[in-house]
Amino acid sequence: MARLWAVITREYMERVRSKWFLVSTILAPLLFGVMLILPMWMARTMQPSADIGHIVILDATGSRLGTRIAGELNGGVTGDSSLTQVIEVASAALGRAESTSTQQVIAKRAKGYLVVDSATFSSLRARYSGTNATSEVDMRRLERILHDQVTAIRLERAGLDAVQVRALTSSAVTLQTDQLSERGRGGSGKVSMIFAFGVAFLLYIAIFLYGQNVLRGVIEEKQTRVAETVVSSISPTTLLAGKVLGVGAVGITQLTLSIAGSVLLVRLREPIMHRLGMPMVPMSLPHISPAVALLLLLYFLLGYVFYAALFAAVGALISTEQEAQQVQLPVAMLLVITALFIQPVMMAPEAPLARRLSWLPFSSPIIMPLRLSLGAISALDIALSLVSLVIGCAAVVWIAARIYRTGLLMYGKRATLGEIMRWVRVTR
Amino acid sequence: MTDSAIEIRGVAKRYAEHVAVHDLSLSVPRGAVYGLLGPNGAGKTTTIRMLLNIIAPDEGSILLFGRPNDEAGVTDRVGYLPEERGLYKRMQVRRVLRFLAELKGVPGHEADRRIVEWTERLGLRTPEKDWGLAKVDELSRGMQQKVQFIGTLLHDPELVILDEPFSGLDPINAQALKDTVVELKRRGRTVIFSTHLMDNAERLCDSVCIIARGEKVLDGSVAGVKAEHGGRNIALALGASRDGAVAAVLGDRTLISRIDDSNRFLELELAPGADPQLLLRRLLESGATIERFELVTPSLHQIFLEKVGATGVEAGVTGHG
Repeated sequence: MARLWAVITREYMERVRSKWFLVSTILAPLLFGVMLILPMWMARTMQPSADIGHIVILDATGSRLGTRIAGELNGGVTGDSSLTQVIEVASAALGRAESTSTQQVIAKRAKGYLVVDSATFSSLRARYSGTNATSEVDMRRLERILHDQVTAIRLERAGLDAVQVRALTSSAVTLQTDQLSERGRGGSGKVSMIFAFGVAFLLYIAIFLYGQNVLRGVIEEKQTRVAETVVSSISPTTLLAGKVLGVGAVGITQLTLSIAGSVLLVRLREPIMHRLGMPMVPMSLPHISPAVALLLLLYFLLGYVFYAALFAAVGALISTEQEAQQVQLPVAMLLVITALFIQPVMMAPEAPLARRLSWLPFSSPIIMPLRLSLGAISALDIALSLVSLVIGCAAVVWIAARIYRTGLLMYGKRATLGEIMRWVRVTR
Repeated sequence: MTDSAIEIRGVAKRYAEHVAVHDLSLSVPRGAVYGLLGPNGAGKTTTIRMLLNIIAPDEGSILLFGRPNDEAGVTDRVGYLPEERGLYKRMQVRRVLRFLAELKGVPGHEADRRIVEWTERLGLRTPEKDWGLAKVDELSRGMQQKVQFIGTLLHDPELVILDEPFSGLDPINAQALKDTVVELKRRGRTVIFSTHLMDNAERLCDSVCIIARGEKVLDGSVAGVKAEHGGRNIALALGASRDGAVAAVLGDRTLISRIDDSNRFLELELAPGADPQLLLRRLLESGATIERFELVTPSLHQIFLEKVGATGVEAGVTGHG
């Protein structure tokens, strides 16, 4: 046991002491931060153009509709509506006024022009021509203002007074979405989607990263030939176990630091966003019960052991890092294929596909945490997937240990599949 | 307590393509310096790996200090220097050594004390510079060899196994190694090393075992082996006048079975049943000027060549020796 501990300590300390550890531990929360802030920044670019009011309104309705629209476009009663040029014209002169406005737009003296006439009230139609006609957000804003003002005028015509109309029509409804689960409210639906995706993606990256780390460790020991010195003192199985556990502990340390850093970043998000002059979108972290948190950790650990053992076996099969790319492909493919299913499973976490992927040991370490983060899953599904994962892990570790034991001291010609099978069958 | 450090009985190891070791038995007494001699590919490394329980024999048994070598704790009493040497390159020297000691069950603080002692002894730690604080790949090759050597001996093993210890050593490190082997013997430790350099073996070993093609050719004490094969060799030095008559005598296969002229003198091996006195008479009759005619014990080198022969070397499978 003391020997195993010596191996674990070496694997852990040598990695934690390295620059790689420092850089990646700091980078991870930073990356997470960028991922948090970037959507907000992108959302800001989705706002209507600031100079949306820089247009000409040709008003042939004779009802001051144009003036009212101009007011709204520029921020209501308090805004400066001088940017918008309202021209009240007779229906007959509309053709000429339009061609003048077209010239204006081409000469870049205005963004575009809006035409409102009798048809606006009778058949609810208006026309807009401008350089921003393809901007979805601009057009939606214009449409909304038009709709509000036309409704207001119609209401006034029906006998309501202007103040009442203003009060009644300025009602913007925001839809807040809530995710319901057996445990009750679990934060907003969108947040839990993002969170679930984040969890699955993080697990995918972490398992890949630390699995590869084990692979490189095995290759290093083979390449430097230190492996022979080590296995003259301890069994290859102890070395393998120590390596997998040591790197796993590095993973846990790094994930803990990264998650702590990210939580801190979320807490500090408000002041940061404020500094950057971005509007604050309220965001609540989804509520994760201790049981779910424990399950997530368990899936990470089992998934990591599953893949780390496979990567270690790959490392024992080859002599140089150059060969690694090719030989590890089958193992890497298992992970990549699983990652491809993240999207479909997110769309339908209870569908047969999602459930089946949860029962397979190579995909469940990513798919189950994804489903767990999305909402409640039946205890049967959890139990089935855990049992299959544990059995899968045991089988993979058993096979990998045998390949590792023999492959560790083999150099030169790469073993054929038949030889590998023989290594697995032979007791020692 | 048994007086054998190593007891190998009927051990065999087969690989898919070839038999690495075939029915090998040998015994190494405690406190001996023992040479495992053989050409490349004779099965030396395979034998050593089986000794250390790195690989298991297909047949036979191996006892270290009278106990099966796969018993817990037995290999802790063994120090091993593999033929292919290497250390964790990016690790601090001191930490590598401590790790290797811990793998043998030496507590950390005790290991630290011994590391200081050894690094000072081998000149890796001087008042100006402590190489123990450097990373392994900052060290020269020679220094790395020293570190590896310290790693082999740090847990003060009763049995030291060195696989081709002289390969790749510069003359200074090679001498340091020889000195250490002598020192280990003086302290009652058992040393077994494999080599194909007969000179080193002859100078250092008490006993030897020659193996070829996975089989034991002969074994025993160096003195015994030589006595058994001695008396049949003649060192002969001739004066300037060497003519056809002399050559005819030297070419007589009933008298001389082999001539080695790689030395300043000729080393002759008498043919079976031939009388050295007859040879001397014939040489004198042929008119040779004899400067030296001496019955000598053959060198290990000669015995090796005689016993293993060119075929044994040729047939040796390269790779896992």
